[in-house]
Amino acid sequence: MSVRVDPNLMKELEAFGLKDANKCFHCGNCTAVCPLSTPENPFPRKLVKYVQMGLTDRLVERSEPWLCYYCGDCSDNCPRGADPGETMMVLRRYLTSKYDWTGFARKFYTSEKFEIIAVTIVGILVGLAMWIFHAGNPNMEHAQLNTVWPAPAIEIGDLIMAGVLSFFLLSNTYRCFKFVMGDLRTKIPIKIYVRKAWELVAHFLTQKKLGECTDKVQWLVHLFIMTGYSTVFMLVVIFLAGGIHVIGLSWDKIMFQRDVIYPFFHPVRLLGYYATAALLYGTTYALIGRIKKRKAPYKNSHGTDWMFLILLELTTFTGILVHFSRLLDLALTTYVIYVIHLMVAVPMLVLEVPFAKWAHLAFRPVVAYASAVKEEYLQGETSQA
Amino acid sequence: MEKKIAVYVCAGCGIGDAIDIEQLSKIATEENKVPICKTHQNLCSQEGLKQIQDDIANEAANTIVIAACSHRVMYDVFKFENCIVERVNLREQVAWSQKPGEEDTQMMAEDYLRMSLAKVGTMELPEPFQPEGEISRDILVVGGGLAGLASAVEASKAGRSVILVEKENELGGFQKNVKKIASLPYKDIRDNIIGDLIEAVSSDNRIKVYTGASVEKTEGGPGVFDVLIKQNGSSAQHKVGAIVLATGWEPYDPEKLDKKLGFGASPNVITNAMFEEKYQEGSITRPSDGKNVANVAFLQCAGSRDPNHLPYCSTVCCITALKQALHVKEQNADASVFVVYKEMRTPGQSEDLYRKAQEAGITFIRCQSPEVIVSDGQVSVEAEDELLGEKVLLEDLDMVVLATGMVPVSAFGPDVAQEEKEQGEGEKKEEEELEVPLDLIRRSNMLNLDYRQGPEVPALRYDFPDSHFICFPYETRRTGIYAAGGIRRPMGIDSTMKDAAGAVMKAIQCIELTARGAAVHPRAGDMSFPEFAMQRCTQCKRCTVECPFGAINEDEKANPLPNPTRCRRCGVCMGACPERIISFKDYSVAMIGNMIKAIEVPEEDEEKPRILVLACENDAFPALDMVGLNRMTYNPWVRVIPLRCLGSMNLVWIADALSKGIDGVLLLGCQHGDDYQCHFIKGSELASIRLSKVSETLDRLALESDRVRFETISIIDYDKLPGLLDEFAEKLDEVGPNPFKGW
Repeated sequence: MSVRVDPNLMKELEAFGLKDANKCFHCGNCTAVCPLSTPENPFPRKLVKYVQMGLTDRLVERSEPWLCYYCGDCSDNCPRGADPGETMMVLRRYLTSKYDWTGFARKFYTSEKFEIIAVTIVGILVGLAMWIFHAGNPNMEHAQLNTVWPAPAIEIGDLIMAGVLSFFLLSNTYRCFKFVMGDLRTKIPIKIYVRKAWELVAHFLTQKKLGECTDKVQWLVHLFIMTGYSTVFMLVVIFLAGGIHVIGLSWDKIMFQRDVIYPFFHPVRLLGYYATAALLYGTTYALIGRIKKRKAPYKNSHGTDWMFLILLELTTFTGILVHFSRLLDLALTTYVIYVIHLMVAVPMLVLEVPFAKWAHLAFRPVVAYASAVKEEYLQGETSQA
Repeated sequence: MEKKIAVYVCAGCGIGDAIDIEQLSKIATEENKVPICKTHQNLCSQEGLKQIQDDIANEAANTIVIAACSHRVMYDVFKFENCIVERVNLREQVAWSQKPGEEDTQMMAEDYLRMSLAKVGTMELPEPFQPEGEISRDILVVGGGLAGLASAVEASKAGRSVILVEKENELGGFQKNVKKIASLPYKDIRDNIIGDLIEAVSSDNRIKVYTGASVEKTEGGPGVFDVLIKQNGSSAQHKVGAIVLATGWEPYDPEKLDKKLGFGASPNVITNAMFEEKYQEGSITRPSDGKNVANVAFLQCAGSRDPNHLPYCSTVCCITALKQALHVKEQNADASVFVVYKEMRTPGQSEDLYRKAQEAGITFIRCQSPEVIVSDGQVSVEAEDELLGEKVLLEDLDMVVLATGMVPVSAFGPDVAQEEKEQGEGEKKEEEELEVPLDLIRRSNMLNLDYRQGPEVPALRYDFPDSHFICFPYETRRTGIYAAGGIRRPMGIDSTMKDAAGAVMKAIQCIELTARGAAVHPRAGDMSFPEFAMQRCTQCKRCTVECPFGAINEDEKANPLPNPTRCRRCGVCMGACPERIISFKDYSVAMIGNMIKAIEVPEEDEEKPRILVLACENDAFPALDMVGLNRMTYNPWVRVIPLRCLGSMNLVWIADALSKGIDGVLLLGCQHGDDYQCHFIKGSELASIRLSKVSETLDRLALESDRVRFETISIIDYDKLPGLLDEFAEKLDEVGPNPFKGW
């Protein structure tokens, strides 16, 4: 079987941010310097070749884009300025759009106009909903959020959102898993899947592969953003009303949205502070890095990269403002900022988690897991043979 | 000339510490009764030189023997007008490479002085050769393509009159079919410069152009070439000083290509040369129906770097393919253009063109052996992409362009040696004495030389008439004929322009040196030339066959007719001559023989064997100097005599040495074969062939053939020499002393 060459893929990928892949002349320096590339699974050179040759079908099956954490060593060492690291980034965007069965991701990635309009519409809808749905008699003397939007009510909104997001994200992740596993998916015995399950958790929690990159700062920054984000996600989705209030599983000692502010050393308050500090540091570092094009992974910024960082930074910043205006007991200010906070945070979650950059939180560990499973299976096969 | 010998011994540079200078001087004063013998602490100083100059002026000394450093250094200091100058290498090859103060070291120094005194006894001062008739300073350029035109312009700029001969009716050669070119600095594809060159040549009144003409006959030699030019039935005779051969190349015949490349299977499979014509005519269209092209594949190395076709790389096809691919993209930016290559060879700045093509969206596929498939008029290419590790299929191609390589014009025509062999088939040759491999000369109708060895310049590798490309660029193996452009090696426009300048410069140098009666490179300036004592000639043809430069013609009775202006003074003829009738004023069989005879061979019971080293003075001798320069020590039994070329080695010297009681003879020459290092192309090869005859001689003398050995050495291998000499000495020790000692 011979493959068909399609020179048009390069043009298509330009919308996803592809710039210099055509300059590659396949010396393989990138693959040689990559700390994550192995002789059994070499990248990124081969992926650049797939791009140049336009082998779409081949690309969709590849796990390598998710095994790359973009430290930028390859791009720094490329003698031809072909920026292989960026090509891998572009492929992650492209693959995200390929995994997404709704076609939304593709639009989001390929049209900045669409991206901005989508974010704006969701933001306005959230604002409108908050305007329309609020409790009858808000406390205008003291900043008491629960008197306007009671935590249990917000929680219901949270749960609906989480449900919808999970549906899209999980269905897309399953498609990703299917593509990557190919024929082996059903061939591999369950016990290997089970034995390797810890890989999924480990990769999700630690991004340990990124730790193997030369530039450890990237791992640290990523870890800040990831832990900060996860913490805050836990606080607002699970502990907002002290647990799952709807089914009565809640404890208001750990409720996040409450009108009496916790003492300073209360774990929930401390967690909130950690999350805020981690997000603020990580996001600001990345933003400044991108503005100054400080290192290879920050040199090329796609529209979605900016949107992601800006929304995250704004969410964090408005979150801080809410906190301070509550501390100052400024009732109306608190309520207004709270609405803005949600108008930023919700679109970020709704749009980015299943359809864009946030989706990597599922794709990366799943692909790492799938690769580990495959590797173990194939090792068994060869040792048998 | 009445010789008055003066010997000067230098004690500087450590010579005085290693050798007893007083004792050494006695060799001159007492043994040889030399009238003047002086020593100095620093002979190359002004004071030291003045001493010599005073003796020349006041004492009428005219044969100066300098016992100091190697003749390869200070040659400009120890230079005395109208004097024979001989250098005894006491520094590099005695003081620096032998143990100081030892008896053996002293003996070596004394032997070298004896040998030099014997040598000057036989030497004469050379007189420059002046050919009959006036020296012409005009240059003949054969070929009116890019190389020829550029050569003519360069020569004219240097003030020379030029005769340009082009076989076609128009000037321009291959380039006249090329509309746009890719050349330095390769930033853009630009208009061809050939029109400007044609204009420059046509309007230059120093350049006489013959188009539709050919060189019917070339006689004579540098300075006195006589060429007969035929044009439309009429003919013209010209005298020229030197010739620039710029006859160019032809594209490789696509009919000969592998069938799998699809040439002939579809009109849409064309060659790069055909593409150029198409582009010049107007737009790039599908040959079958004239539609514009949207899908084009370029297949590189069509027959190139393939032992069954052209084993070499033509160096320009990659750049040409990039240029042509960009033409397609320029015409239709949406066209899918593929370049299937073995390796992209875009040296130097031409890499920028490769980048440009990549950025234009051209797809590159690395494949060693693509296949063109034609079915129902549809052309597709199947290629195993090595960088992908998979087979790729390029379908619905409107055009496939095969990159055929460059074949020098000298590659066409029958092989002269083969012709002769076939002719002589009937009459069986009896005296197959020496099987000297003949040069490849094809009857390719470029110069039609009236030379004994064949009508054209001999080819080296792949039919290109070049010499060693690093040491002797532009030089063909016929003196005064310099190759430029595609005839020399495959090359593009930039290299051709440089070649033109280089070859013209060589031609001018040749004329000027010849006018002074001097040799050209590599013995540039040498005034000596071979003289033939014809009354003793036996018409054996060895000299006319073996001369690497075809300098010697023959009359119908097989008498040699030397052409000294063609001669490079290597002495191969002298080495070849069994009758020893060929000699130079300052280099002869007798002279070296006398040097050998001057070596003092101790009695057997002294246990001091002697090894004669006949060393090529271009590589082996300097390598021995390098040993000393690096203060390495080598065997003290060795006595070295430098030869102009090992090819000038006459077998009688080996007989001389062995009958004198010398235990062994080592011949140190240069590497021969395809990657030869020999300054005179096949001198060392000839020496080794002659040596194969020596075992016979040795048997006759009842001696072991182990006593004579041939080794090739290049200058960078100097560090291997001490080991090599010791090893030979050990071998000789095993064989035992020469039974002729003391006879």
